[in-house]
Amino acid sequence: MKSLISLGIKTVDSHEKEPGRPWTLTEKLLLGLTPQQYLLQAVRNPFNWFLAVVFAIGIPILLGRFVFGLSWVTHSSNDYPWGMFLGFGLFAMVPLSSSGFQMGTACEVFGRHDLEPLERIGLLNGLLGYFFAVVYLLADLGQPWRLPYPMVVSFGPAAVLFLVAWHVSTYLSVQVAEVSTSFFEWIGFPAGKRAVRKITLGLTVAGIILSTLHQGALGALFTYAPGKVHPLWYSSSFQWLHFFVSSLPGGLCMVIAVSTIASRTMTWRCDERFRQNLDRLTVSIAKGAAMGLATYLTIKLIGIAHDNEWAYLATGWGAWFLLEIGAGVILPLGLFAYGIRNQKLPVIRFAAFTTIFGVVLNRVNTAMITFNWKLPYREIPHWREAVICLTIFCIYLVVYRFILYRLPILYQWRSQEEPALAHAPARETQHTMPAEPIAVPAYRSRLVPETEKA
Amino acid sequence: MKSDRSLQALIPLLLLLAVLLPAAGWGISVPDSIILNKNGALYDQISFDHARHIRVTKECSDCHHHTTGTLVEDPNCIRCHRNSGPSQTVSCRGCHTPDPFSAKSLRDKDHAPKTYHLDKPGLKGAMHQSCVGCHTKSKKGPTTCTGCHPRSAAGDAFYNTGEYAPKPKAGKSGH
Amino acid sequence: MKRRDFLKVCLAGGAAATFGGACGTARAGGSFEGYPDGMGVLVDTTRCIGCRSCEAACNKEQKMPEPKKPFDDMSVFNQPRRTDETALTVVNRYEVKESSRGQMYRKQQCNHCNEPACLTSCFVNAYTKTREGAVIYNGDICVGCRNCMIACPFNIPGYSYSSAFNPLVKKCIFCYDTRLKYGKPPACVDICPQEALTFGHRKDLIKTAHERIRETPDRYYDHVYGEKEVGGTGWLYISSVSPDQLAMDTSLGNEPIISNVKEFLGTVPMVLSIWPALFSGIHLLATRNKDHHDNDTSTHTPGQEDGTP
Repeated sequence: MKSLISLGIKTVDSHEKEPGRPWTLTEKLLLGLTPQQYLLQAVRNPFNWFLAVVFAIGIPILLGRFVFGLSWVTHSSNDYPWGMFLGFGLFAMVPLSSSGFQMGTACEVFGRHDLEPLERIGLLNGLLGYFFAVVYLLADLGQPWRLPYPMVVSFGPAAVLFLVAWHVSTYLSVQVAEVSTSFFEWIGFPAGKRAVRKITLGLTVAGIILSTLHQGALGALFTYAPGKVHPLWYSSSFQWLHFFVSSLPGGLCMVIAVSTIASRTMTWRCDERFRQNLDRLTVSIAKGAAMGLATYLTIKLIGIAHDNEWAYLATGWGAWFLLEIGAGVILPLGLFAYGIRNQKLPVIRFAAFTTIFGVVLNRVNTAMITFNWKLPYREIPHWREAVICLTIFCIYLVVYRFILYRLPILYQWRSQEEPALAHAPARETQHTMPAEPIAVPAYRSRLVPETEKA
Repeated sequence: MKSDRSLQALIPLLLLLAVLLPAAGWGISVPDSIILNKNGALYDQISFDHARHIRVTKECSDCHHHTTGTLVEDPNCIRCHRNSGPSQTVSCRGCHTPDPFSAKSLRDKDHAPKTYHLDKPGLKGAMHQSCVGCHTKSKKGPTTCTGCHPRSAAGDAFYNTGEYAPKPKAGKSGH
Repeated sequence: MKRRDFLKVCLAGGAAATFGGACGTARAGGSFEGYPDGMGVLVDTTRCIGCRSCEAACNKEQKMPEPKKPFDDMSVFNQPRRTDETALTVVNRYEVKESSRGQMYRKQQCNHCNEPACLTSCFVNAYTKTREGAVIYNGDICVGCRNCMIACPFNIPGYSYSSAFNPLVKKCIFCYDTRLKYGKPPACVDICPQEALTFGHRKDLIKTAHERIRETPDRYYDHVYGEKEVGGTGWLYISSVSPDQLAMDTSLGNEPIISNVKEFLGTVPMVLSIWPALFSGIHLLATRNKDHHDNDTSTHTPGQEDGTP
């Protein structure tokens, strides 16, 4: 893609290819390339080869799970009914997707419009994270075709999972609506965009409510198993707070991580506004994440003190707990502090990845590794289970990339209606207009080392 | 509700004392053998060698509580039965009902709240507890199921044993 | 009023966002003691001889698949077993030091809690605590999330993972469909030769259990397991040794599992009702005198806190 752009090929970022000649949908889907060019760039990307290998092995196994049943892909454990699909897929993907409501809240509710270049990627990250958490859930459910049952057939309103089901499904709709503005721009349906913009505040506030509750509810699910979750990872009073608060830095760090990866691997798709603001916004978001981490660390310690669980720290489980807190919370917290004070972006970005690791480790620990700590054995997931997890994750990456390539997430759509608004011309001149002449050489200069690597 | 009939169909080990003493009291008429488990489905009926058990046990009260023979020594029993003479009913079935958990039995219990022996085992339970308990304690006599009563063909099917034992399946193995 | 119903009301009210979190503590103080006529079984482990007849009877009554080993094969005791999709009840053998026998057996199956964790954790209400005391399961609406298996403090429900198209939770249902609702004891109780299993009204069985302990204190450890554990269970255990020696979890506490979840459930109506007002208010304050839509980005200093909650 990069080298094609360097050859002077124009990417889709507005309705018209040339004045008076709109892009067709096929052209939009093919990023303005000819089918040959599109295939060529796909084949030349080594990551696609990796994906091809994963899918070649993983897709048949994923389909096999639905034909031969769960016993074919898991150990059919009655002691560990939730394996990797939920332990990793659901419980880790959801907190990392809290970016949607946080970026939405910051921009739309708190009026932090300076964060807008990263708002859409935050929203998209939220939507895809939730969507694929549900995909993982579908892989795990015994009878996935009955997923709508708690909505329509039979209600168990005293169950936390009932809350989760309703909130996640409602929130998914909210997120689809939030992200749909990008889609309406891309597809050329301004009326839809305007309609959604009108209810943005409502959607955002709904997002806050639903997120607070179901992020917490995922934690509260484990309060059903007070004897099974290790005391260091369990707190009847604080479990939902632990899950909710840790999801805050988790989601924000996902924004940093995804924007970092996107700015490295799809530079051509990022517009000037995105690239110029990225470092500054990364610091901004890192501050939020650091605050979240500090809060999380505090309530985690309060949780231990509240139940007086200090003695457990001296056990092997305690060492593992300290590792999780040390590597996943304290280390990134320190790195964030150092990175923010000294404006060291690489340190901040590394800290963001560490935070994500910490959040994932916490969820996997709670749901799988320390679960059933009183039982004499630990369950190692079946290899097919791991392959399916990887496959679904790769599908997630492919969908993520597909959308980032096309929809105006990392760049601003140049549309005809915008100039009609009072403030729009300023933005046009500020960001988009200079982007055009500068952009292509900039891509080219960055392109050289990267294509050589490839 | 025909709970009795269904109990007989469903309780395979319904034990019956076939021969009962016409009159109570030591020395009047003691059976030498008693047919047990007459209607059992899973186990065949057996002839209980009463005479031999009389020889090897010290006291009748080891099995028959306070109903016959020497007085019991159990402190719980002598609270009431210190002066009880031999009772009219000596046979196991005379007190221990074959269907202790039927709706009728439970209802009878509810309606007799002043009865002391509310927690009285049923016939099958009483006999097994008595036999297995003593055999285990004295380390004499059989303590396994088939040690006393041979299993019937229906019993083999019920317990998936003998010719009904599960065949090892070739090839497919579970996790 | 049962706590479950209370929680339903609480959540439903919360969903309508009509009242605050105050209800969270109002009526949840007491504990549901079970239905007055609820039945139960008293398991006297001092009587159990490990004959596995209950396993065989359960297998036939519930039309379970053929076992891997015959029911008179005692080699199964070499490994501790748990209930699963092929066996709704299992007997395990325990080496007990202080007992004169050295070995003791304990049957395990669903304990039919007064306030079942499986029931309260089920988001499609697939479980029902019947008037007769059984906790039964409706496979027609089960989605297969297996939260009940997570929640069960006794690790009882199994899942028929091997079925691709109709996997279901497999657990003892007290022979509800075939026996209990007709006033009959479950198959395992019927077959038990030793009458180690005593069937009756739960409230009577508690008296019976204490009476046995009182009459023969040398024979029993003075505890009726299940009388109070996790809010009380329909099946009760007495034994000659402490419950932990027969692998019964003594750290469960006397509160029903749902009590642990109450604190979170109490926050739900609060969040639902306060958050909209709170954040709309913040929005009005934060964006006063400003255009609603994206303005000039440079007016904000880069280092500003992003203000996430």
